[in-house]
Amino acid sequence: MNWRRTLLIIALLTPGLGVIVIMIGSVFYVAVMQSFGFYNLVGEESFSLEHWQKVLDSKQFSRALRYSAYIATVAAIGSVTLAYPIAIWLRRPFRGSLVISALLKAPLFVPGLVASFLFLNVIAFHGIVNQFMMWIGVTDAPIRLQNDRGAWGVVFLQLWKNMPFALLLLTGAVQSISDEVLDAARDLGAGSFARFRKIIAPLTVQAMQAALIIIFIGAAGDFAFQVTAGPTNVQSMAQYMVFLKDSFGRWNQAAVVGVSLMVLALCGSLVLAVLSRALLRSGNRW
Amino acid sequence: MVEIAATETATATKPKNPARKVGLLNRALMVLLLTVVTIWLVVPFTMAVLWSLVDPKTGWEYPDLLPPSLTILRWVEVWTTTALPQAIANSYMLAPTVAVSTLILASPTAYCFARFDFPGKGFAQVLTLLPLVVPGFVLAIFFSSLIFSLGIYSRFLSILMAHCVLFLPYAIRIMTVSFGQVRQDLIDAARDLGARPIAVFRAAYMPALLPGILASLIIVFIQSIEEFAIAFIVGAPNFTTIPSILYSYLGYNFIRPNAAVVSLILVVPNVLLMLGLERLLKSANPAQAGGKG
Repeated sequence: MNWRRTLLIIALLTPGLGVIVIMIGSVFYVAVMQSFGFYNLVGEESFSLEHWQKVLDSKQFSRALRYSAYIATVAAIGSVTLAYPIAIWLRRPFRGSLVISALLKAPLFVPGLVASFLFLNVIAFHGIVNQFMMWIGVTDAPIRLQNDRGAWGVVFLQLWKNMPFALLLLTGAVQSISDEVLDAARDLGAGSFARFRKIIAPLTVQAMQAALIIIFIGAAGDFAFQVTAGPTNVQSMAQYMVFLKDSFGRWNQAAVVGVSLMVLALCGSLVLAVLSRALLRSGNRW
Repeated sequence: MVEIAATETATATKPKNPARKVGLLNRALMVLLLTVVTIWLVVPFTMAVLWSLVDPKTGWEYPDLLPPSLTILRWVEVWTTTALPQAIANSYMLAPTVAVSTLILASPTAYCFARFDFPGKGFAQVLTLLPLVVPGFVLAIFFSSLIFSLGIYSRFLSILMAHCVLFLPYAIRIMTVSFGQVRQDLIDAARDLGARPIAVFRAAYMPALLPGILASLIIVFIQSIEEFAIAFIVGAPNFTTIPSILYSYLGYNFIRPNAAVVSLILVVPNVLLMLGLERLLKSANPAQAGGKG
């Protein structure tokens, strides 16, 4: 490759890729440096582990970390588990399958805050859920379902919003498996679960990993669902980070939470990716 | 077409029962799914529309299943007494600017990915996904910290910059596919016929690129209108967008009818745009775009 071509390629990559790398790199750099006491908006700058110590010692932080990890894991695994059977069902087109797939994917285009709001209406005192429960006689008076302590509301919203995304990725992958392969397996006597375990899952593992990772990262950093529909006795990582920044401008501690959230997103998605592959391998050895 | 015909004949020659079983199963599943989707989508949206039309005089309280009377008073009130018109103006000024700027920034990189081979290309393509894997609020908070330390105080400019970076992955991906669909034989033919660069661009590139350009503009536009983290953290408190207004009605002072109005204003135009995009993507057929069947 001659130098003119190299220069041309660098020039072409700069406005797109270059801007991304510089910007995301600087944001990452600022977050890490701020967590160690640099880049202060006010006051002196010096290296310090004090902010890390303060945050890591607080109970609120460990609860937020556990809570966000839990929501993200349930959202990622739950969405993929729900999406797989539907993707397999929609693999071959039939009358009405396009309408179904469009309707199922609709929540993808509903912003998180709007989704929260719609959900809050449905579970309100005179919302349809309470009315239905009273009609079938489960309860005599409406129950308060909003901001439930078990975070069922947030989990439901995560699944509502993310299942369509998993479906989008998995449908494409499942559709690319040729009929011959599945027919051959069927002729060799493989039942539907064996066909899923030995053919569909291994051939769609990349799409599955992509869905798991992207959903995990999104749910780990959730703010909108948690603030509107989540339990009030625990904060999510993003909520805790915004809280620290807004209360007395504790930017350095917010930075510690931010860096921890990035570490959680990275570790969680790596674990999910490795685990899904390992599970498939051990599954195939049976 | 041939494939479908072959499958149909194959099903026709098989014994009738399994095919009918599959048909029945599909129909049963479809009825089930349509019921679920009705609960999934129709009920929540109908409730939002009803809430936006609740008469403040009569209200809508337990045990009423439906509001006793409807009025458009809330729409008028939200429009005349809140910052919503300003937020709409802000959002709809920001989003097209973001869409066009992102397209301009993304195109050279996309062109490079589609038409050049170079060492490390795969890695470079993975790197473009970086904005998608950094949690939104981390990006928002430390981006705001970065722009303060750089001394940039224009909220519009700050959000514009952040949105461009955030949505570049989508534009790069879409435009890479589009540039890949430009046919080399058309470029060569146009050149051989003595066309100047602009004429070559119009004859060979433009037809293949147009659906991608429109798709990229629409996707980035919608994403920018809906984006909350950056608009909220960087824009607050002076620069409000539609999602930040919605958040204010869902947060500390929960005003359900106002939130319903703002939710609908946020969602409805985007759904219409998405439907347009769907048609556009269907027409983005490379053979058609290249002018040959």
